[in-house]
Amino acid sequence: MMELSQVQWVRHILLHPVEGFEDMRWKKAGSLNIAFFIVFMLFLGMVADGRLFGPQFFINYDKTFNIIPYILRSIVFFAAWVVGNWSVCTLLDGDGTMRNICIYSAYALVPYTAQLFIRTILSHLLVRDELVFMDIIRFTFIGWSALLLFFAVKSVHQYSPAKTILACAFTIGAMVIMLVLLMLFMSLVQQVYVFVYSLYTEISYRIRV
Amino acid sequence: MLKYLLSFAAAAVCAVSAMCSAISASAGEPYDVYNYDRWGDAIPSQAGYIADRAVSGTDLGVGSFDSPSDIFCSHDGTMFIADTGNNRIVSADAQLGSAGRVYSEFTMPDGSDTALNKPSGVFVSDDDVMYIADTENSRVLVSDLDGNVIREITKPVSNVFDQNKTFMPQKVLADKAGNVYVVLGNITTGAAMFAPDGEFSGFYGANRNAPTAEVIRDHFFRAFISDKKKARRIRNIPSGISGFDIDGDFIFTCSSSSSQTTDTVKKLNAAGKNIFADRELSFGDYTPIYDPTQNKVFQTAIIDIDIADDGCINCLDHTSGRIFQYDEECELLFITGTIAKQLGGFDRPAALESYGNELFVLDSQKDTVTVFTETDFGSIVHKAAKLHNDGYYEEALDPWYEVLKRDGNYRRAYVGVASALLRKGDYRGAMKYAKLADAGKIYNKAFEGYRLQWLRSHFSAIAALIFAAVFALSALRRYRNNHPHSAARKEDSL
Repeated sequence: MMELSQVQWVRHILLHPVEGFEDMRWKKAGSLNIAFFIVFMLFLGMVADGRLFGPQFFINYDKTFNIIPYILRSIVFFAAWVVGNWSVCTLLDGDGTMRNICIYSAYALVPYTAQLFIRTILSHLLVRDELVFMDIIRFTFIGWSALLLFFAVKSVHQYSPAKTILACAFTIGAMVIMLVLLMLFMSLVQQVYVFVYSLYTEISYRIRV
Repeated sequence: MLKYLLSFAAAAVCAVSAMCSAISASAGEPYDVYNYDRWGDAIPSQAGYIADRAVSGTDLGVGSFDSPSDIFCSHDGTMFIADTGNNRIVSADAQLGSAGRVYSEFTMPDGSDTALNKPSGVFVSDDDVMYIADTENSRVLVSDLDGNVIREITKPVSNVFDQNKTFMPQKVLADKAGNVYVVLGNITTGAAMFAPDGEFSGFYGANRNAPTAEVIRDHFFRAFISDKKKARRIRNIPSGISGFDIDGDFIFTCSSSSSQTTDTVKKLNAAGKNIFADRELSFGDYTPIYDPTQNKVFQTAIIDIDIADDGCINCLDHTSGRIFQYDEECELLFITGTIAKQLGGFDRPAALESYGNELFVLDSQKDTVTVFTETDFGSIVHKAAKLHNDGYYEEALDPWYEVLKRDGNYRRAYVGVASALLRKGDYRGAMKYAKLADAGKIYNKAFEGYRLQWLRSHFSAIAALIFAAVFALSALRRYRNNHPHSAARKEDSL
């Protein structure tokens, strides 16, 4: 039973949201490469969603393009989630390793990633009156992803449902703290850079004169 | 190395001179001629008007003006200027070539003479009745063009009108029925409206308060604080009307508060309802513009408004001295003027009027009237916009193309071309131009038509494809059923 290839495991999880992750855990399956691929696709999907929408729905400001917000919203958020979940659940007697948290969470994001692409494609085929179809797809797929994420956390740490919800809430808190610290750190680095640079300028002027 | 440097320097000089010539070629004006692109960024554009001449009172032969504050052009093209400091109304011909009558003394109905005191508004109706906002005399004079006063409107005695407040008419106008509307400097509840017989009949067209977060927060806190504190807090009252104009059945008002963002320009019907209220319109500069030559930030404050004969809405911004011209659908056409000493610039622009293809701006500091005439580009745009707004989209197509030839950044033209092509049934072209104009609504319609057209013309191919796919699927299933080995493997794997 259950001799699935790594790709077939993704399919199995998507179609069996409730017990799929338990099966995968039992079989010790799941590939980190596929997880990274999914996160990369999430990043591409966010870019597509932000830039390639049909003009009947949204015309973007394409004079400039800044990739940083897209990286932040996909890869950095995902990394923060994994690290945050790992640190919280280590304290809360979770069974998950960092590797497994990463794999399980990434698998749970497949529907969310898919809807980004599906909606981008549909935005070139539908008119404004048919926007409701895109909304239906969006909400269904996001709900699907949320369900998957819940069961991913539940099975990777072998938690009860109540504890899973608690762990998720704490993880979000941990993410916020991490991102705030990151921001503080960035601004500090910037100030140090400015200081060093002005020092350099000052010295170079004096040497020249 | 030296050679490289020299060639670089030469290239730089070339580039700079090319830039300078590009700027001076587009201008000849003491200001930047600009418009807004589809993202709301200011970009250089072609001038729609150029300053032709400035006319002073001396040029008219009536002695120089003294802080004049209103200019009005009557139906037969006679200009009336409220020469506030000299306590008179000066009339002149439409070209401002020579003065006509100078009104400083009026004959009251009982035969006595009366003089004006700092009149700041004048209006002449189509049946040649002159209305003068005689500010310091606290009255509105209704007179004929020979200076015989028909009626005098003074401070109304009414419960609605706060008797503690002074009655200082600033601007005045009358509608076809003879109702008189008076802008009062100290009243924020709209213009005072008087029936044809001079009886006060209420206020008209008050501005709304924008429900900003601050206003809502204040409203919430107001429930808890004492009356004493309440009196000290900033009150949330909308600013009053600063200028207005009448066009047929509609009265257009403007408000010159720079902090106010809603109701800066209103189009009021006879019932006083603002027709622009439900449309998300913005008048003036989108964002406050910083001018490095004057080290000032300009926040639009529209002091006067004028509706041209072809329906264009001209708004005069007194902080930046710019005239913003919109067509009747409130699409921006041209931005003209500045604060400057040269011709085409103003010191303190006070009032605006239009006649034919000319714009007249009254400056109450320079004491002149600056006359702007339409350029070729302006006349093409006006022609196209007029045709477009009257519904002749296809007839407007050629002028719009001509506009685009002269200024490829002119967003309004892309909208026009897209609408025309959509009307023609050229959906692909309409999609192209609507995309360039950021006109999502037009793009949506064009795309809907294009999609239908495409589906219709490719119907047989699509039907064949679906049929082939269904056939292939059923064939695959039959193949799997007939080959149990592969089916078993599949089952095993699940």
